[in-house]
Amino acid sequence: MSEIPWNVIAMQLFFGIALGCIFVLLSSGMSIIYGLLDVVNFAHGTFAMLGAYAVFVVVSLSDSFFVGIVSAVVIVGIIGMVIEFLLLKPLYGKDPLLPLLLTFGLSVAIPDFMKIVFGLIGKPISFPDALSGAITLGPLTLPGYRLFIIIFTLVVMISLWLFLKKSDLGMIIRASTRDSQMVQTLGINVSRIWTVGFGMGVGLAALAGAIAAPMMSATPDMGVDMTMTAFVVTVVGGLGSLGGAIVGGLFIGLVVAFTSYVASAYSSVAMYFCMAVILLVRPRGLFGEQGRE
Amino acid sequence: MQQLRFFCKTGFLTLLVGLISVALLAALPTSALAQQKTIKYGTMHPLTGAYAVLGLDQQRATEMAVEEWNAKGGVLGHKIIWLHRDDELKGNVAIRRVKELVEEEKCDFIGGTLSGSISLAMNEFACKTKTPYMAYCMSDMVLGADQCEYGAAFMVLPYSASLAVSQYAFKNVGKKWYSITADYRWGHSLLEGWIWQSQQMGGQFLGNVYVPLGTTDFSTYFAKIMAAKPDFIVMNNLGADQTAAIKQAVELGLTKNMKIICTKTAQSTIKELGPAYNENVMGGMTFYWKLSSKYKGAKTFVDKFMKKYGSPPEQDGESAYVASNLLFMAIEKAGTVTDKKKIMSALEGLKYELTKGPEYVRACDRQRVQSYVLVKGKGAKAKGWDIADIVAEIPGDSIIMSCEDNAKKLPFINVKLPK
Repeated sequence: MSEIPWNVIAMQLFFGIALGCIFVLLSSGMSIIYGLLDVVNFAHGTFAMLGAYAVFVVVSLSDSFFVGIVSAVVIVGIIGMVIEFLLLKPLYGKDPLLPLLLTFGLSVAIPDFMKIVFGLIGKPISFPDALSGAITLGPLTLPGYRLFIIIFTLVVMISLWLFLKKSDLGMIIRASTRDSQMVQTLGINVSRIWTVGFGMGVGLAALAGAIAAPMMSATPDMGVDMTMTAFVVTVVGGLGSLGGAIVGGLFIGLVVAFTSYVASAYSSVAMYFCMAVILLVRPRGLFGEQGRE
Repeated sequence: MQQLRFFCKTGFLTLLVGLISVALLAALPTSALAQQKTIKYGTMHPLTGAYAVLGLDQQRATEMAVEEWNAKGGVLGHKIIWLHRDDELKGNVAIRRVKELVEEEKCDFIGGTLSGSISLAMNEFACKTKTPYMAYCMSDMVLGADQCEYGAAFMVLPYSASLAVSQYAFKNVGKKWYSITADYRWGHSLLEGWIWQSQQMGGQFLGNVYVPLGTTDFSTYFAKIMAAKPDFIVMNNLGADQTAAIKQAVELGLTKNMKIICTKTAQSTIKELGPAYNENVMGGMTFYWKLSSKYKGAKTFVDKFMKKYGSPPEQDGESAYVASNLLFMAIEKAGTVTDKKKIMSALEGLKYELTKGPEYVRACDRQRVQSYVLVKGKGAKAKGWDIADIVAEIPGDSIIMSCEDNAKKLPFINVKLPK
């Protein structure tokens, strides 16, 4: 095999990290939901799709991509909280299959609803003017938007970490993840924490969909692949672990990027292969807690 | 008096018989009289997945063709009952549902689909069950071992699309090329056509990346292509995959240094991409609505479709419309709705003029021979559905191999595809 030029390796690394950042946002939302509620959210990608459409609508109205991103998180987060409150909450404490079936049902029904409302042709979202185009650094061509994704994800994850670590609500959420009964006995309404946590989780999914949207358009079926990717990353990183979601997301992004270079046809299969290997070697994932495999 | 009694008696009897007859006749529409003669046509379309927009277009055009025929009394006095299913662009789903159409719904004829590999599977099923199959998509099913007397194909052969577009590209765009190919049989067939033509016209093939169907991020493939510095990138993909690939190529600024040429593109892709599908992006199609300014048949078809569905038809809808029409025309020509062999024979060599100029179905392999259109995007200048301009229309006879060569897949079988 011929030698790979260093600039190509550097670019693959860059693209892999940018792709991984979208995976990080997506799977950290799934991890929060699983960690807090023990619910495997089959509709996670569907919420990401809603985020992409929310950006499309808000950008069409306001002409500002950044307003679009913030609105997508808020709108989808609220939708998520309403769904949790009305549909998921009554199922807690019952058969664990029920929430799974409910979210699976949502993953079928919501895209069909979007097809009726928005049609089958994807909705394009332009790259924001300030971030369109590429930056050339010698032999490297780095698209501005991907650079933004990396920096933006870094800011979001640091903020999320600070929120969970330093704020009162964050600490309650973390405590609820560990032992919700204990939190309940301290007089805190855990039920509300679950609602907020679910809203946060799907809000992060919406954020992933929103920042991915300019690269691929918003389509009703885009959530299917996103759900699968979120599962793979979450399983690789460890169910319910935020750190695992970050490491897992970046790892899978890089795996996809470098497989695309050496054996392009296997780029999709590669992440499933990684998941299978990790499940065999370490069933609880890279950062998962024992007993949560 | 006796006469009166007799009249009353017979009159009463007549009245009674009459009333019973009327009652029977009133009851009959649900039984014997209502059994209007029918034929069943079942079609498959990918209404879910990467090609959903194109699948919907096929479905609509089939509906339009069936409605038109039923409005003029059906085929040989038989009303056409049309059933359709979503194949979800998945082979296993397609086979399950086509079986349902033929074995449970008792469809006499089947058609549709948008994936070359699914059409091959449907063709195999049609051959086994002796059910005439009208393939709407680009497919190799009329070639070599895949051929049987119950299949007919109405989109161009994959290599024909490659030959049409590559001829233009090597003459007018450049010689050095790199390709992005959807990793399944249809994509591979397109690539074979390109490589063969490249060898004939002195092209320089720099490399290819096979991309799994449904890929959303193409950026990881572009570093390799940028390093190779081709004159143009060939896109052997379609639908959502092509949309994402072009969008991300433009994001990277690739179209400033090289052109993008899609062997097959779609109106919905151009529309969705908007300014990104600019004058540096070209694509091939069997039909584009602007042909309506050239052909009367195209105008009638486009106007009717626009009026009914609010947007101009795609090439996939046009293929569905022609395929459905030709099936019904062949049934009329054969003078039978039951003798499937006779119907397929009637299709062979059938000449017609429907949506473009004069065309025919080739007798030897039941392949529709038609022209291929090359369009160039209008980018930011696009307005409404005026999204591209026709650059060239390549005649059908110039991009199809002889029946003998087709049967042996020559010369493409000798092309060695890159790993």
